[in-house]
Amino acid sequence: MTKSIVLTKSLTKHYKKFTLGPIDFQIEEGTAVAIVGANGSGKSSFFRLLMNLLQPDEGSITLFDQSMNESEAEIKRKIGYSGGMLEPLGYLTVKEISSFFAYWYPTWDQEYYVNLINRYEIDTGMKFGKCSTGIKKRVEFIFSLSHHPTLLLLDEPSSGVDIVSQKKMKEDLIDFMEKGERSIVMATHSIDEVNSICDWITVFEKGQIIQSFNKDEIFEKWARVWVTDMTETIKQHPNFLELDVEPLQIVTNNWSEMEKELEKEGIAISHFQKMTLEEGLEYIISSESRNSIKKN
Amino acid sequence: MKLPIRVSEESREPIYHQIEAQVTSLIVGGQLPPGTPLPSIRVLSNDLKCSVITTRRAYQNLESKGFIKTVQGKGTFVKEMETEKMEETKQKVVMDAFERAVTQAEQVGLTAKGIRAIFDNVMNRREKGEEEGD
Repeated sequence: MTKSIVLTKSLTKHYKKFTLGPIDFQIEEGTAVAIVGANGSGKSSFFRLLMNLLQPDEGSITLFDQSMNESEAEIKRKIGYSGGMLEPLGYLTVKEISSFFAYWYPTWDQEYYVNLINRYEIDTGMKFGKCSTGIKKRVEFIFSLSHHPTLLLLDEPSSGVDIVSQKKMKEDLIDFMEKGERSIVMATHSIDEVNSICDWITVFEKGQIIQSFNKDEIFEKWARVWVTDMTETIKQHPNFLELDVEPLQIVTNNWSEMEKELEKEGIAISHFQKMTLEEGLEYIISSESRNSIKKN
Repeated sequence: MKLPIRVSEESREPIYHQIEAQVTSLIVGGQLPPGTPLPSIRVLSNDLKCSVITTRRAYQNLESKGFIKTVQGKGTFVKEMETEKMEETKQKVVMDAFERAVTQAEQVGLTAKGIRAIFDNVMNRREKGEEEGD
């Protein structure tokens, strides 16, 4: 049986010039979800709401089938979070912060923590506030994993991190998912991370979730199709997305439906190529902003 | 434990089906003998850049067809298979490949006669190649 690890209903937070939500979001045990979207689309606020660092104006959040209001401590012990939570502790050294964490989390694994510290080459005598952006990210990542959480909430964990450490993070996340029924919600701008780690993709745009889908859907259903001719009927078809000329080609989000339609119109397909995730995502994100420009 | 399989961008078949077909070929072809451990669903997903939903489906199908078995806590392994079933599967794998080729030939408008001519052509070239010790 799959059960929901994170479930939000009509989650809403109002700011002066921005409203996040209403957000209905769900993640099943054992899966990894990528949250993608432009800067300022509300991803970080969403994470802060999930961690109860921000209080929602409307709606509800359930984690592990429990409400945050009733069992906050119990819930938080099962979560690993990386998203600027250590900033207020900047005057402490990494070592001092680790003693706090070891005290707070019953499941803290000192040996694993030390392994990670060595693996990511962290000088634990450094004051956290004095570390560079990349080092801070690495330290946060280590702290999110060292108590063996069942859910990771990661807000752009690898941004500003060097390539070698990014690769290590990827390996550690895959390793994390290997150990049983664990889940990840991760905001990221890295297609590579989405490709290797995530199963589902949720797209944020101006405080709203505009799409949520299984990652393979793009590869399975989207295609670029080179055609011999074009008609108005094809252009009006719900699965038609875009037309390019020279040579004549269309982008479709359901090639098998489009193929039938083309056949009806007597149009032949000269070449066919499935879309990569990168192309598909680019298309989704940019077409949403194109549409909203039109609306405005 | 990296499997020599890949997901094709040109193929119209669903990814889970591609994985299933390629693993089956490796098993009946003897490249993956009985008892060989297979990568976990998560690791295979990472290698192929697809979601666990897809790889899980491929593994479930392979398991229900009796090619692999999952041992709780130990992983997934290639299953022992009877010779008869092995032969049957070999036939089927090749038959499926021909079916796909014929479908493609029909799509580009070839007649049965044209398809046979191509088949003969390919076979002739192969036989010649073998004689020359290619």
